Amino acid sequence: MKRFLFAAAAAVAAVQPGIVQQAWAQPAGDPIRPLVLLAQPAAALPQEYQAAELVAAAWRELGLQVVIRPTPSQQFSQIVWYERQRWDTTTWQMVGRPERSDPDELTYNLFLTANIANGYNFVGYSNPEYDRLAQAQREELDVTKRRAVVVQMQELINKDQPYGFMVHPKNVVAFNKNVWDESSIVEQAGIGARNTWTWLNIRPLGAQRDIILNSVSTPTNLNPFNISGAQGSWAAEIAWDRLMRIGTDGLPQPWAAESVTRPDALTVNIKLRAGMKWSDGRPITIDDAVFSLVAPGIGDKSPMYKPFVANIANVEATGADTLRVTLKRPDAAFLVSTLAKLNLAPKHVWEPIFQSLQGKPDTAESVMETTPVTSGPFRLVKAKLNEEIVLEAYNDHWAKPKAARWIMRIQPNVQASLGALRSGEINFLADYTGDPQLLRDAAKANPQIKVAEALDIGFKFIAYNHRRQPFDSTPFRLALSASIDRQLLAEDAFGGAAVPSNSWISPALAAWYDNGIEKRVPGGTVEAAKKILKDAGYVLVNGRLHYPAGVKETTPAFQ
Amino acid sequence: MSRGGFLRLVAERLGFLVLTVWIVTTITFILFRLMPGDPTLAYLSPTFNDDTRRALLASFGLDKPLWQQYLIYMGNLLQGDLGTSFLQRVPVAQLLGDALPNTIILTLVSLSCAYAFGIVAGAFLAFHRGSAIEAAAIPVALATRSAPEFWLGMLLLAGLAFQLGWFPTGGAFAPGSDLGTIGDRLTSGEFWHHLALPALTLTLYLQGLPLLLMRATMLEVLGDEFIVMARMKGLSRWSIVMRHAARNALLPVVTAFALGLGASVGGNVVIETVFAWPGVGRVLVQAVQGADYPVAQGAFILISVVLATMNTVADLAYAWLDPRVSVGAGR
Repeated sequence: MKRFLFAAAAAVAAVQPGIVQQAWAQPAGDPIRPLVLLAQPAAALPQEYQAAELVAAAWRELGLQVVIRPTPSQQFSQIVWYERQRWDTTTWQMVGRPERSDPDELTYNLFLTANIANGYNFVGYSNPEYDRLAQAQREELDVTKRRAVVVQMQELINKDQPYGFMVHPKNVVAFNKNVWDESSIVEQAGIGARNTWTWLNIRPLGAQRDIILNSVSTPTNLNPFNISGAQGSWAAEIAWDRLMRIGTDGLPQPWAAESVTRPDALTVNIKLRAGMKWSDGRPITIDDAVFSLVAPGIGDKSPMYKPFVANIANVEATGADTLRVTLKRPDAAFLVSTLAKLNLAPKHVWEPIFQSLQGKPDTAESVMETTPVTSGPFRLVKAKLNEEIVLEAYNDHWAKPKAARWIMRIQPNVQASLGALRSGEINFLADYTGDPQLLRDAAKANPQIKVAEALDIGFKFIAYNHRRQPFDSTPFRLALSASIDRQLLAEDAFGGAAVPSNSWISPALAAWYDNGIEKRVPGGTVEAAKKILKDAGYVLVNGRLHYPAGVKETTPAFQ
Repeated sequence: MSRGGFLRLVAERLGFLVLTVWIVTTITFILFRLMPGDPTLAYLSPTFNDDTRRALLASFGLDKPLWQQYLIYMGNLLQGDLGTSFLQRVPVAQLLGDALPNTIILTLVSLSCAYAFGIVAGAFLAFHRGSAIEAAAIPVALATRSAPEFWLGMLLLAGLAFQLGWFPTGGAFAPGSDLGTIGDRLTSGEFWHHLALPALTLTLYLQGLPLLLMRATMLEVLGDEFIVMARMKGLSRWSIVMRHAARNALLPVVTAFALGLGASVGGNVVIETVFAWPGVGRVLVQAVQGADYPVAQGAFILISVVLATMNTVADLAYAWLDPRVSVGAGR
């Protein structure tokens, strides 16, 4: 009966335009409810908000009613992460971190069926073939074969479009080239010029030997068992060594370890570098290294780091400077996700602390050392977290930096930070959240300023909630993704400091990226998106998109 | 007012002060629990599972019923324990204790300059009522008073720091300096150099009130009979204005100073943020942005206590300075 009524309506529309415009002469289901696109407020994330507006405009062209709901940060995370049945669609991002140079963390976690309930797979995508490939890439230690699997997974995701990928951002930083030798700045794949290698290698041209950089946010507590926020981690990474570090090419390389070998899929043999010392002068021993790998797994005293040692079955010293790690399951990314992630912590300091924490609600993360004992090329001399953090070069370190001090000034006003770079108060603008064009203009007007832009590992996207209609429909998601003009987003919303994206793997990770996938979004234009919808039975009635015939709107609107 | 009456007034005002602080602390507690979102989300990584999240909530005592949280909170407050920062993992009292002296210095310097200027300029303008100087000065005073602080601050930053390079762009000392104690800071030229621009901005913002208040009160006083008498006696203009009229016009201005001091402890949020001045306002902003509830609660309580205390002080000072002020009904 309903089909008949719609057919009749279409016939009436044909002779009485303006009453009912049924553009696609097909029977229709219920009208699609107004969809709510969550985004953080423009005041907090102006570029993302503008991107959301452009995406919403494209979706409206498809006949959808789209409401953008600005939501403060805390509420935003609460809804998206912990109220997974509630929301329709949202802006989101995965940030670049050195340990994400290996694709495993995101490849394995983002779309795995097992992670739907409370893990990374917050959109609720499920595809058994993807699950199989995710496990296969994790267990494949041959890089060439693993790459083939990872590329296959990107193609699979391209066909299903569980996200509407938008862009891969660029990191934009600047430095004073009258103070620092331009050629000593190191660009790390997927991270850019603001990285540990730059802090180690940057070479002064004159008397100023202090790296003075800015941070717009206040860092969190610095200790080897606390994963700091982005800015805090810049300091932590040079204050505490790890057995391995992510190299400039994005691949793990031995650091505090002299060598790391994997005789089989479950065994990792590590030889410790000789002659290393803690900042208190005591030698770094194999017991320290074993402790650093074991401690995060003791009870619940290190909840932040515990997931990174969950796959370790056993750690044992096999000699005066060697140890063996036995894994529970094969893990191709273990070197990156664990050995290049965990800080070396002095056993003589932290073992008593862990013991004293037993039976108390406190965790190791909240411990503040009066004088932190560090292992890295810089040592912490001052941490007034609301004012500045000062580290000085540790002269006894085997990789002694060329700069004398590393000083991070906390300056919430980003325009003042730019002014400070121009006036010479800071010499490295490491944390710039303003308009990239303003920085480029400042560099043109001030010859001493050099801007360094580099593609980031992270990506920004629109997440579709697969638990809710109409996002449970693959053609519908394909159409939404196809209508997004990624080039427009990169140039207009993100000021040219981004490139189009259609994968969770950034082109910065050339070894893993599926070349050209950003141009292979099914459809790729609003017109093509309309055709996808039409072919799938969606109907435009009076300018509003309806479900295919027989489909009822059963999902409550987002409140 | 008799000595006994004044003591009764002091006891009464202190009682009100305690009641006010209790209400404020209770409202603060409730407000933060009503805010949407889980407070631990600020630093929880999505890699954490539910067990980890629950363990963290328990470590902060957030897994307990609300009434228990309230009792613990009030008990800790009475012992001066404001809790531990979610983000920085240091005691809130320590964070605020580090920031408060910077705010007090900024506030005292700015208020003193603003009131010194406002009093003199207000008296001057009152004496030159109807002149071209007054016609030009009043709009300027009103404009600086009405201009948003961040706008005024950014203008001064752009002109005096970015372009001319006369002042630093932010912070309380040069990068890497070791000005740990208040004594070190107060005796350091570098500290005062960093203070100058935020203090100038705050001074410009604050001077409007004492200027206009002084001018209005002076105009009232200048019409009094004792001023006419002074003129008849042939006293100099300066002597009439400063020694006779201004002294009698000061009382409302002094009261406004005390209230301004209380309000400014929490009212410097914008200036402290623009100039990266490490004071209480900036701590508060960072705490709100990072959903660091213990710090935000502590900062609100500190600001409220200072404001309520300064109100009480102003109230008592007024009663003490001006015997004509009656206290309560029937007195």
